[in-house]
Amino acid sequence: MDSDRIAEIIIAEIRSTVPELEAQPITRGDSMADLGVDSIERSEIILATLEAIGLKVPMVQLHGPRNIGELADLLHAKSKA
Amino acid sequence: MPSPRPDPHPPVVTGIGVASGLGHGKDAFRAGLFEGRSVFAPLARPGRQRGDGSPPFFGVEMPDPPSILPPRVERTAGLSGRAAVAVLDEAWREAGLDRVSPERIGLIVGGSNLMAREQLLSLRDYADRLDFLPPRHGHVFLDTDICGLCASQFPIRGFAHTIGAASASGAAAIVEAVEAVRSGRVDACIALGALQDVSLMDLQGFRALGALGAGPVCRPMDTGHDGFLYGEACAALVVTRPGHSAGTVYGRVLGTGFCTDGSRGPEPNSEAQVRAAQDALAAAGLVAADIDYVNGHATGTPSGDEAELATMRRLGLGHARGNATKSIIGHGLSAAGAVEAAAVLIQMRERLLHPTLHLDAPLDEAFRWVRGAAQEHRIRHALKFSFGFGGTNVALVFGAPEGEAT
Repeated sequence: MDSDRIAEIIIAEIRSTVPELEAQPITRGDSMADLGVDSIERSEIILATLEAIGLKVPMVQLHGPRNIGELADLLHAKSKA
Repeated sequence: MPSPRPDPHPPVVTGIGVASGLGHGKDAFRAGLFEGRSVFAPLARPGRQRGDGSPPFFGVEMPDPPSILPPRVERTAGLSGRAAVAVLDEAWREAGLDRVSPERIGLIVGGSNLMAREQLLSLRDYADRLDFLPPRHGHVFLDTDICGLCASQFPIRGFAHTIGAASASGAAAIVEAVEAVRSGRVDACIALGALQDVSLMDLQGFRALGALGAGPVCRPMDTGHDGFLYGEACAALVVTRPGHSAGTVYGRVLGTGFCTDGSRGPEPNSEAQVRAAQDALAAAGLVAADIDYVNGHATGTPSGDEAELATMRRLGLGHARGNATKSIIGHGLSAAGAVEAAAVLIQMRERLLHPTLHLDAPLDEAFRWVRGAAQEHRIRHALKFSFGFGGTNVALVFGAPEGEAT
């Protein structure tokens, strides 16, 4: 599964967690915080994405990405490690 | 202890929101009560079936609460939370609480262990994938999440907390709301009897205790009674000082009694029930002869009904009209005291008493139960009983709005 596919999963999880963003265009360059996703929602989205791609890593190892693309890249790297 | 003298300006109820098996809102509640519509059925919500082919639990489940929360919030709120927001919204609008300063508004949610069914379902769903448990589970399992949810959607900034008193929780919330208003702590306080979302485990526990009836109906105060039947319910009552709200007055809370009797389990205690009623009457400056209507706790458990009848005999309430709201909507547990207090006040306003269903052979023919159809009656002073496991006894005395009482 490549990084773009992981980003699509993240974006789908964002839309299901925050239905208010259903119609809003979301791309790899967007940050969840800037989209108005709060911190508990962000954790929920990341956990749901981890489950969807079959990856188990502690949340503390996922701090740092500044946007959806960087998060997808990080998850992609972790899934290959 | 009762107040030394009656409050010359007792707190009033100016807004009511109700949800039950009769539907959402007061209109559905009023119509169903006066019509005496029986809504008992096998409990069908997930998490309430034994799954071993044994007969289902009977009771009452409500239609889905109206969707009034923002979608991102609604998806995180359980049934108890959504029902709470719906009744709060109805009561809030009616009482015109937008005109009250948020810091002068309090919320007391009656009930504990409110979301057992959803916890059971979560355990089933996540037992083999706990690492992916959504982080929200870290706060939504708390009963106080209902307080947080309500205060996040409505400008309540005085205080918001829960009070647990088993099946008397809703009535206990009213007692505390009245105290909060009387003491001046806030100008308006919402007493909310929360929906107790019982699980299979709770139902089976009640059955094992011998408290739960077999169905298909519940027969409070009837010789055929065999226990209570659960009924989903939720109600909010806005209690204010007279003149502190825009709503019209349903009735006055003239006195309350709230005592414990030393039982740990489900055993009723008539002496303590009498004491609670006497305390409430003394606080109201009334005697039993002044009470013209009694809304019983009346669950349909054999020991509970007998103890309550003994209490009514001891108090000398044989002259008063009476009915059992649980015969129609089932036993709301944490919500019961609040939803039944709402029934008292709606009957007071409508000058009509709802029938007691399935009361074919009364345990005591001397009591003037409303049977068959709704009956006209102008309530001046009502007594509401609410009792809970663990030895809790609550009595509330309501009076008609000022000018209508005499």
